[in-house]
Amino acid sequence: MLILDIVLGGLILGGMYALVASGLTLQYGVARIMNLAYGEVLVAAAFASYLLVTAAALSPLFGLVFILPAGFLASSLIYRVLLVPLVRRAKTREALEVDSILATFGLLFVVQGLAFVLFGGQYYSYSYLSVPVTIAGSTVPANRLLAFAVAAVLAVGIYAALMRTRTGTAIRAVAVDPASARLVGIDVQRVAGFAFALGGGLCAAGGVLVSMFLTFNAAMGVVFTMKALVVVIMGGVGNLMGALVAGLLLGLVETSVARLVDPGLTLAATFGLFLLVLLVKPTGLFGRAGR
Amino acid sequence: MLEVSGLSVSYGLHRALEDVSLGVGAAEIVVILGANGAGKTTLLKAVANTVPAEPGRCVVLGGRDVSELPAHLLVEEGLALVPEGRGIFGELTVRENLLLGAYPKRARAGEAATLERVLALFPRLSERLGQTARTMSGGEQQMVAIGRALMSNPTVLLLDEPSLGLSPLMSGELFAALGRVRETGIGVLLVEQNARRSLAIADRAYLIETGRIVGEGPAARLRDDPAVRRAYLGEAAPGAALPSHA
Repeated sequence: MLILDIVLGGLILGGMYALVASGLTLQYGVARIMNLAYGEVLVAAAFASYLLVTAAALSPLFGLVFILPAGFLASSLIYRVLLVPLVRRAKTREALEVDSILATFGLLFVVQGLAFVLFGGQYYSYSYLSVPVTIAGSTVPANRLLAFAVAAVLAVGIYAALMRTRTGTAIRAVAVDPASARLVGIDVQRVAGFAFALGGGLCAAGGVLVSMFLTFNAAMGVVFTMKALVVVIMGGVGNLMGALVAGLLLGLVETSVARLVDPGLTLAATFGLFLLVLLVKPTGLFGRAGR
Repeated sequence: MLEVSGLSVSYGLHRALEDVSLGVGAAEIVVILGANGAGKTTLLKAVANTVPAEPGRCVVLGGRDVSELPAHLLVEEGLALVPEGRGIFGELTVRENLLLGAYPKRARAGEAATLERVLALFPRLSERLGQTARTMSGGEQQMVAIGRALMSNPTVLLLDEPSLGLSPLMSGELFAALGRVRETGIGVLLVEQNARRSLAIADRAYLIETGRIVGEGPAARLRDDPAVRRAYLGEAAPGAALPSHA
């Protein structure tokens, strides 16, 4: 059934977008770091997963247990070493955004260069749970279904943590108004660094999940950065719910266009939707008015 | 409770605050009066360390030297600032705003009890806990801002123009609330445009002109001081041509 195929395929694709974008919205919306190396970190996690699966014969799900915290720690280190000096000298958030674009643009080439040295330019993939599962007459590979389930668990978990815990509320406070956040005793730089690291952890998790069913190579990072950025801006910068909804929406629209019109028009559909959202709501679906 | 001395701030070449010293005791309301641009807001910001002050200042809070502490740690020491324009988290709910006020460790243990006290002080807020803060009226937002500051269990509360833009009725309610805040033992340092109302409630006052303290005294005495009445309470100078009622 075509409709069900589109909905299932769209949700699975959109689930990946949503997870990957939620990491970027934490980095961009809370820490105000426009991380151009985001996709590179994702690809690095995909390669790490590839190595664990092929060399150590581990299941990617088990790999996630290592790679997600590694993404968190690596991002925390990047923030402390590379970005804190920029945070210290930035007079405004806008200045920090520009500085961080330049710094992470450099980081992009470092990570990508390392990936090229280690893995070359060819495409990689591994086979994991590539068995078809039939849902109400529609066939989906089990690995995609599993990736979607894990993405959903992570997204719901991170959303609940942001809404329900004290640290989560502090993260949202910093996203909304960092100047006021320090007046309630929040160490803004620390919370921003934590949010950046958390975003890196989600990014790495996205890399592992994507590697379960997608072929990838060292040059693909920018594609993920771009898609994630489109979703983040469409949803409203710094708004997790926005990133989740916009991600799912983008997945559904892309899949519909690819199945109903022409697969070659997917990218056109992406930017068509992007433009449409920005025309109607310039600050994004869940964005604040009058920024 | 709060002792400040030698506080100076410059914005580039402009000297905004020059060697200011002042004190606020427990259960005392102290008001700072001055014209626009005299340095009132800068003074509060410099005490709360949200603008950089020049070296040589000394800020003592509850007997501890806190001159070098960054803004977020000053909250931990018991200093809470309600900034000009309120600085509430507009996108968050009233409840989230208030609970964020109790983010400092000093406030966490007593969080539930403090929330009850704050809601007793501002009963309007208890019906609005789930509302997004930015959708409230100016007076209600000011209550959220003050409530949030009180949630940090402060010993000294700094308030920057809390009655700005409020209706007379609402500012009356606000000043009454400040009186009840004082009864709990908190020291209040208040910057106000509304000299009449603030002198009526305050215990002491400082007069500030172009960044310097030019006068201080008990509020009751300043209320009756002809110079103060002229400068801050809008009374005409003696001998000025008054419209005749004849």
